[in-house]
Amino acid sequence: MTGKVLPVAKGIVALALVGVVLYATFHAVQAQQTQTPPERFIAPVDVDTAGLPGPVQPIFYRHDVHAGQYEMDCLYCHYAAEVSSSPGLPSLDACMGCHLLVGGGNPEVAKLREAVNEGRPVEWVEVHKLPPFVHFPHMRHVLSDAEIECQDCHGEIERMPQVYQFASLKMGWCLECHETEEATTDCTACHY
Amino acid sequence: MATTAPPEGLPVSRPTYADVTRDIVATLGNPGRIYYGLLAFVITILLIGFGALLYQIKVGLGVAGYTPPVMWGVYITTFVFWVGIAHSGTLISAILFLFRSAWRTAVYRTAEAMTVFAVMTAGLFPLIHVGRLWYAYWLIPYPNQRMLWVNFKSPLVWDLFAIGTYFTVSTCFLIVGLIPDVAAVRDKATGWRKKLYTITSLNWRGTDQQWRHYTRAYLYLAALATPLVLSVHSVVSWDFAMGIVPGWHATIFAPYFVAGAIYSGVAMVVTLLVPLRRVFKLERYITTDHFENLSKLLLLTGMIVAYAYATEYFIAWYSGNTFEQASFWNRAFGDYWWATWTMIICNGFLPFFLWFKKIRRCIPALFVLSLFVNLGMWFERFVIIVVSLSFEYEPYAMGHYTPSWVEWAIMAGSFAWFFMWFLLFAKNFPTVSIAEVKEIIPMPRKKA
Amino acid sequence: MGKEMDRRRFLKVLGVTSGGAAAVGCSTGTPEKLVPYLVPPENQIPGVATYYASTCRECPAGCGVHVRVREGRAVKVEGNPGSPFNGGKLCARGQASLQGLYNPDRLRGPMARGADGGLAPISWDDAYARIVERLGSTAGDRVAFVTGNESGTFDRLVNAWLTALGSQGRLVFEPFGYEALRYANQQVFGVDALPSYRFAEARYVLSFGSDFLETWINPVQNTREFAEAHSVTEEGMGRYVHIEPRMSMSGINADEWIAPNTGTEAVLALAIANVVLADHGGNAPSDVFRVRQLLEQYDPESAAGVCGVPAETIRRLAAEFSENSSLAIAGGMGNQHDQAHAAAAAVGILNYVAGNVGRTVVFGSDPDPGAGSTYRGLADLTQRMRDGGVDVLFVHGANPAYNAPSGLGFGEALGQVDLTVSFARVLDETAAHADLILPDHDPLEQWNDFEPRAGTYLLQQPVMQPVFDTRQTGDVLLALAGQLGASVAGRFSAQTYKEYLQAAWRTRQNQLGGRGVAFDDFWAASQQAGGVYQPEPTRAQRLDRNVGGLTFSSWSGIAGSGDLTLMAYPSSVFYDGRGASRPWLQELPDPVSKITWGSWVEIHPETAAEHGIVDGDFVEVTSAHGTAVAPAFLYPGIRRDVIAMPLGQGHSELGRYAQDRGANVYNLLSSEPTEFGGLSHYQAVSIRATGEHEVLASPAGRSRQMGRGIAQSTTYEHVEAGDAHPFHVEHAAEVPEAIEQVLDEWQAAQDRERAIGNYAGDHPRWGLAIDLSRCTGCSACVTACYSENNIPVVGKLGVQRGREMSWLRIERYFEGGEGDEPLTVEILPMMCQQCGHAPCEPVCPVFAAYHTSDGLNGQIYNRCVGTRYCSNNCPYKVRYFNWWDHSDENSAAHSFPEPLHLQLNPDVTVRDKGVMEKCTFCVQRIRGKQNQAVLEDREIADGEIMTACQQGCPADAITFGDLNDPNSAVSRLSQSDLGYRVLDGLNTDPGVTYLMRVRHTVEE
Repeated sequence: MTGKVLPVAKGIVALALVGVVLYATFHAVQAQQTQTPPERFIAPVDVDTAGLPGPVQPIFYRHDVHAGQYEMDCLYCHYAAEVSSSPGLPSLDACMGCHLLVGGGNPEVAKLREAVNEGRPVEWVEVHKLPPFVHFPHMRHVLSDAEIECQDCHGEIERMPQVYQFASLKMGWCLECHETEEATTDCTACHY
Repeated sequence: MATTAPPEGLPVSRPTYADVTRDIVATLGNPGRIYYGLLAFVITILLIGFGALLYQIKVGLGVAGYTPPVMWGVYITTFVFWVGIAHSGTLISAILFLFRSAWRTAVYRTAEAMTVFAVMTAGLFPLIHVGRLWYAYWLIPYPNQRMLWVNFKSPLVWDLFAIGTYFTVSTCFLIVGLIPDVAAVRDKATGWRKKLYTITSLNWRGTDQQWRHYTRAYLYLAALATPLVLSVHSVVSWDFAMGIVPGWHATIFAPYFVAGAIYSGVAMVVTLLVPLRRVFKLERYITTDHFENLSKLLLLTGMIVAYAYATEYFIAWYSGNTFEQASFWNRAFGDYWWATWTMIICNGFLPFFLWFKKIRRCIPALFVLSLFVNLGMWFERFVIIVVSLSFEYEPYAMGHYTPSWVEWAIMAGSFAWFFMWFLLFAKNFPTVSIAEVKEIIPMPRKKA
Repeated sequence: MGKEMDRRRFLKVLGVTSGGAAAVGCSTGTPEKLVPYLVPPENQIPGVATYYASTCRECPAGCGVHVRVREGRAVKVEGNPGSPFNGGKLCARGQASLQGLYNPDRLRGPMARGADGGLAPISWDDAYARIVERLGSTAGDRVAFVTGNESGTFDRLVNAWLTALGSQGRLVFEPFGYEALRYANQQVFGVDALPSYRFAEARYVLSFGSDFLETWINPVQNTREFAEAHSVTEEGMGRYVHIEPRMSMSGINADEWIAPNTGTEAVLALAIANVVLADHGGNAPSDVFRVRQLLEQYDPESAAGVCGVPAETIRRLAAEFSENSSLAIAGGMGNQHDQAHAAAAAVGILNYVAGNVGRTVVFGSDPDPGAGSTYRGLADLTQRMRDGGVDVLFVHGANPAYNAPSGLGFGEALGQVDLTVSFARVLDETAAHADLILPDHDPLEQWNDFEPRAGTYLLQQPVMQPVFDTRQTGDVLLALAGQLGASVAGRFSAQTYKEYLQAAWRTRQNQLGGRGVAFDDFWAASQQAGGVYQPEPTRAQRLDRNVGGLTFSSWSGIAGSGDLTLMAYPSSVFYDGRGASRPWLQELPDPVSKITWGSWVEIHPETAAEHGIVDGDFVEVTSAHGTAVAPAFLYPGIRRDVIAMPLGQGHSELGRYAQDRGANVYNLLSSEPTEFGGLSHYQAVSIRATGEHEVLASPAGRSRQMGRGIAQSTTYEHVEAGDAHPFHVEHAAEVPEAIEQVLDEWQAAQDRERAIGNYAGDHPRWGLAIDLSRCTGCSACVTACYSENNIPVVGKLGVQRGREMSWLRIERYFEGGEGDEPLTVEILPMMCQQCGHAPCEPVCPVFAAYHTSDGLNGQIYNRCVGTRYCSNNCPYKVRYFNWWDHSDENSAAHSFPEPLHLQLNPDVTVRDKGVMEKCTFCVQRIRGKQNQAVLEDREIADGEIMTACQQGCPADAITFGDLNDPNSAVSRLSQSDLGYRVLDGLNTDPGVTYLMRVRHTVEE
């Protein structure tokens, strides 16, 4: 099967690289345009995983570094969130798109590369879990008129060294917002 | 004539107050081998039933014999049966009390206890029969973060309230009624029982003031309980009458069910009293007159039930509704003819024997009859529920239901549960009201 | 290795799927692992379905499919709208191909028979080595290769491969080979080929026992075209007369059923042809003189004596036949007795004299479901094997050990073969005798192509990664060739079968209309279209010169002894038995008998009474060749002197779902090939009741409607006269104004509550219109529903207890059929009617059943407590309760044993033990489209949302849409004079409107 996907892999790696370069330049340009660059968040250097809230992940992936310090857009990795009910988990390819070039010394990145070389997927621990009888269309919320931010439900991810569940994700919690925002409260909107 | 006839219900061989207390307290004496044997027996059955229930919860309702479209079976049948049983208690103790009919004094305690235990049994079945027992509490309207509420249009929710109210009131009624007697017993009791009675007698000393409040309270409770006799089973009947199932959707259901309930309830009282009277040697207090009065009640309600059966069939024919007609034809001549005829014979024909005074006063005959009525009333519910459901609108979707061993086991368990409570009660509380029996004994006078 | 590896690969495939594996069982608890793709599959977005075009290989018809893929796993198989055959529709077997892919009994890797005689796993290399080693020491002519119908590149590969080995031992074996038809065409037209039958042009169909709506040649296409041509239009209405001893599912859809004396179809057809030629010879081609003399021997009167069909009926049929654009068909496998070729020949002549050849019967495209195979071929091979003439035997896509009478002894003959190599995907009866099993990819995992007829080149592509450690047989052959020394290896340049396939297409690119296009583009385009469809080539066909010399041996009766005649007819559900391993199909009630999970014997009630047999009594059927035991099904739609049993059950292997279920009727048949080289499906038998009895595993509670007007029908006369009005059992009771008002206000209040968000404005009211004139009862919709809505199968005991979960069921009612009155069979698909005033809603204590503002009866599984009151109060009985835990892998009732759980639709909750479930018009599809429409900021177009049943229906009988939109197709249909709503008198205001079935009957 690897035989079958290898060309695809190559293609995607290439794409990812291009993407990153564009992204970087775009940011550079932006940075120039903004006079008086705002106080830039610097993620704390090292934190011990165990002490942090939220489940310990096989690789200590730092949202606070990626989304916080480097201000990467959530949708860059969670690319499906605005078109699909599922946010999409970035493939290891996407990671390698950057990490072929950067973060070489980092032991966690080493883990990543090891996994990719062995062709072994990383089994992340699910943090935000909905029971299977609830259907949550991410795209409807990401693109809704209510202008919901990812942070509204997921908390300040860009400040979390290790992600933990921010909101209860219970039905009451959903309904509060649906009531205030006058979104539908029909049961079959989510339950079917 | 010189001697005046004793007032109705008065023990024939004039006992004195002392006799009454002695005789009745005697019933609380140390139980014999037979009593323990019986207790052990019912508890065994209860455990078997409980085991069956656990099995059903673990594996799923599939272990019961349900065959769609018959979605309700033995469980609901037995539920209605027990709710029905519960009725006569309140009737005898509350309504007859309000009507000041003296003969009730000897029997009402038994009837009342029976009521409470019957409701306790009935209450189990809605839980046993639901698919997700562990979520049954969702039927209770309570504020919750999910902003969900119960559907007050659903008769099942009405049921919840009807049964709940009935249980509360009849329990209070029983406990209040017990106070003076328990006090009387307390003074003679020792050991843990003493403690029990001290608590349940609520520090009763029998002062005039206590008596005044007591009688007042009892009267109010009686007044409160009386409408329930009619309301509870009406509500239960609406579980069916509100449905569109042919054979259910009838305006006659409420009175029909209430009559049936009292009918079965009185029958159960007879079933219980006959052995009780024998074992506790209460012939002096529970006399043939009492049984005759009970059987008159039986006769009355039995006639109403018989009439209701006739009406059902008449309306089915007269309505011109083909579904109703088919449904009732199926009852009498379909797969379940045996159930229907059992019900009609036991409830419709047998009560006619009670027109004869001989039979009304023949206790063995009454006992047998009461058993048949109990049987018949169970089948009445079976016919109404199962047979109607098995023959509805959609011919392609008709089915035939046969109960499984699990259902029989759980039903047997429910009987065991009921009798366990009754046995425990009979040995620990006076089954005949000491105080009220004394009331109807003329004041002892000095010899002239 | 083994399981662990497999799971790992699944996870890799699954990608982010909290809906997939997690959906099985609503269990939360141990933290789910999220497994990202190593490399994301092309154009797949998690949570968004991707569709891949491929070809259905469940039968040789060659329907195009679109496979819905979510998170890298196929979750549903649907018809390919671009296909000229099935045009977006798909039969139940096709829908169930998904369960071939995920069948828990698939062989998970190569197996070899060890010294102990048992099968044990072996590595691919060792397997190859064994074959190479054995082939090395074998003369080529002692190698044989049996395949099923593989018309396409794989077929050529096998031949080339054998040639390279120097072997001529290729045998194609299709159990349904249509030998009689081909033989007859050879006799009448001098071509050993099948024409294509244009049902679309035929306004009058005369079927001599062809089950053309079930298995015959291309059932889905037949159904589509027939339903269209037969329906009521301005020009009038088509008419269909079915001639067979038994009323098959096709027969049920006929306007008239004629059961002539068994096996006399030939005489009947010739007599009709005689009258056609004599009285209405207008359309007859010039060369009919060749048959005139022949036909004159068959005047209606004498024919009437032979067939037991009145002469005037024959004349009437002839008249009707020649007055309309007509089509006569024969050669159905169910009707294949040892005179079947005569019947087929006679029908060929009939078509010719009526001038149908070239109009509705068109030669040239040579569709060939049997791929030229004959049963005699198999018999000969078996003989060769028995004589020790075969050292190495390869079997692919065929199961002769099952699909032939035990009298043939194919299984035993395998004992004489040194090395039998099977490519079976599931251990079948043949593979059970094999020494090596090299499991092939499932068709949904394969690169392949298929040519069901000239001008149609269909492509298969892998829609997902292989589920198990299997290899495509094409690759295996090429790999073997590589190891078989230069002489063989030299002939094959391709390393993989995909390359081989592409090479084949490259050479044919221009011929396939890809001129001037880069191959990759051409390939991609063909892939997306599911193949290349060219117009059918046609060929003018004249009678054979010697047709006049044909002798139709007058019927000598059925071979063998016995007072009854047995018809072994193909099951419309299992085809020749290959579908028996699919739980969906096992639980799919047979369209006629409604029986599931087993065999049965169809007996006429009167015959049954003579033998003292009632429904469900076990009957022992004894022929000269064997016996079979099955419960009786009393069927008024069969001749009194005939009994019938379906083929397809009674497997001794083929996995847990098929094994030891029912009776294998092949074993009752004579293993002697008939004159035309086929297998006779008729046998003289005797029956006796064994004394045992069982409750028939059938959802049919009662088979009579009791005049309740559930499934209503009328005649075309009434429609023309304009007095075709459905009747109501009971007129809707007058609802007092006040109550009506209260109801409306309550509804309005309910709507207001939810009239926010995307429900703002006027709400749609979703509804269905079902045209019973089109519905054939084929039950494709039922399987589609199972697939879309994750409906569990409950097994035989479950069905016997009436606990099947089929949200959509096809109700079947008998009308008449007693004594001499003609039998009509009414068919009605019944699903939740989504009532406007639903009796189920007010009685639910917790609002688990409630009314959505778009007119659905919502059912919220996770809110349901399970009081089952709603079901009691549902007059249509379309609510289904989870008596067991079908979703829990530890429960005995688990319905999705791994990897079957991968078929689950992630958009639909898998229901728990103790909750009520039901049809909600595929609410997940509705919400999906609504979400999409909101994102694209547009209205939903009429017909954009399709329910699964509507999408699958080959006859286009089901229409879904918004009843509040006066211009929607569904509301227009609902206004039809023929429209009625079931049990309307109950004031439930159903959302489903049925259009009465119209029968084109004629007065004698």
